[in-house]
Amino acid sequence: MIVCVAIVGQQNNPLYIQSFTNGDDALKFHYIVHCSLDVIDEKVSNPKKLGLSLNETFFGLLYPTEDYKVFGYLSNTKIKFLLVTTDQDLRDADVRNFFRRFHSEYVDAASNPFHVPGKRITSPAFAERVSSIVSSFGTGPVP
Amino acid sequence: MAREVAESCIDSINLELVHTYATRLHPTKPELAARRIEAIGFQVGLQLAERYTKERPRFGDHLEAIKFICKDFWAEVFKKQIDNLKTNHRGVFVLQDNRFRWLTRFSLDAPTSGNGTSSSEANQANSARASQAAGQYLYFPCGLIRGALTNFGVPCAVSAEVSALPACSFIVRIKG
Repeated sequence: MIVCVAIVGQQNNPLYIQSFTNGDDALKFHYIVHCSLDVIDEKVSNPKKLGLSLNETFFGLLYPTEDYKVFGYLSNTKIKFLLVTTDQDLRDADVRNFFRRFHSEYVDAASNPFHVPGKRITSPAFAERVSSIVSSFGTGPVP
Repeated sequence: MAREVAESCIDSINLELVHTYATRLHPTKPELAARRIEAIGFQVGLQLAERYTKERPRFGDHLEAIKFICKDFWAEVFKKQIDNLKTNHRGVFVLQDNRFRWLTRFSLDAPTSGNGTSSSEANQANSARASQAAGQYLYFPCGLIRGALTNFGVPCAVSAEVSALPACSFIVRIKG
């Protein structure tokens, strides 16, 4: 199940971090997301060494920690989307699908004229839509 | 092809934007009006770039980003592509549109000069007047291009020139 999603901007500034567990682990997720940024930077600067073609948006599994997996996705405008999950067997197609929907939600939120680019996303409607994407994750193909 | 309502709305908004900023809000400071209109275009360009590059793979370098602006971005916003792209390979690109959609309904008053001017001088005078009058309406598209390129990580400065209505060209200078 998904425990945390995050959107990080071009200068590695956090735009949206949301955790979906009941505990007080928010700080731990901030830390995990921060460490994953290093992995993304490494993949961006050495694409051929790590087997990633230059134009790929989806980075796949970034690195596994003790009981979490972190997936990354980079948009054309250098916005990074991160997904932290505890599931042990995830289909690649599911994760790609999730990032696609997450990206389109982000584009809608960024098109808000009251949103200042570079600041955190504060729209409650966006938070609600992201929660519904998260809760429908992994429950079968989307119609 | 029939003209849709949204397009007339955009034309009217652009006209009114320029008119309000230039004559009502900052009548004595045309430079400030230009910068504010360009800043509005900048934010819109940022958001549109985000939306139009959702499905595409990432760009390799500046040239690919500029080509995207010439083809897909221009086609989405103005329903046609840029007609001519020139570069000096040192960071300056000239994007030429031979029939810029927002200038197609632009016209200038006939000059009231005497009969003594030769035709080439009259042409030059005409293009100078066209540049001055239409230039204001190109601040917003300049901001659009600058916003889109900035979102792709290409810092630049964009200016526009009108040689003969409705053709215009945008000069993009890449910084750094």
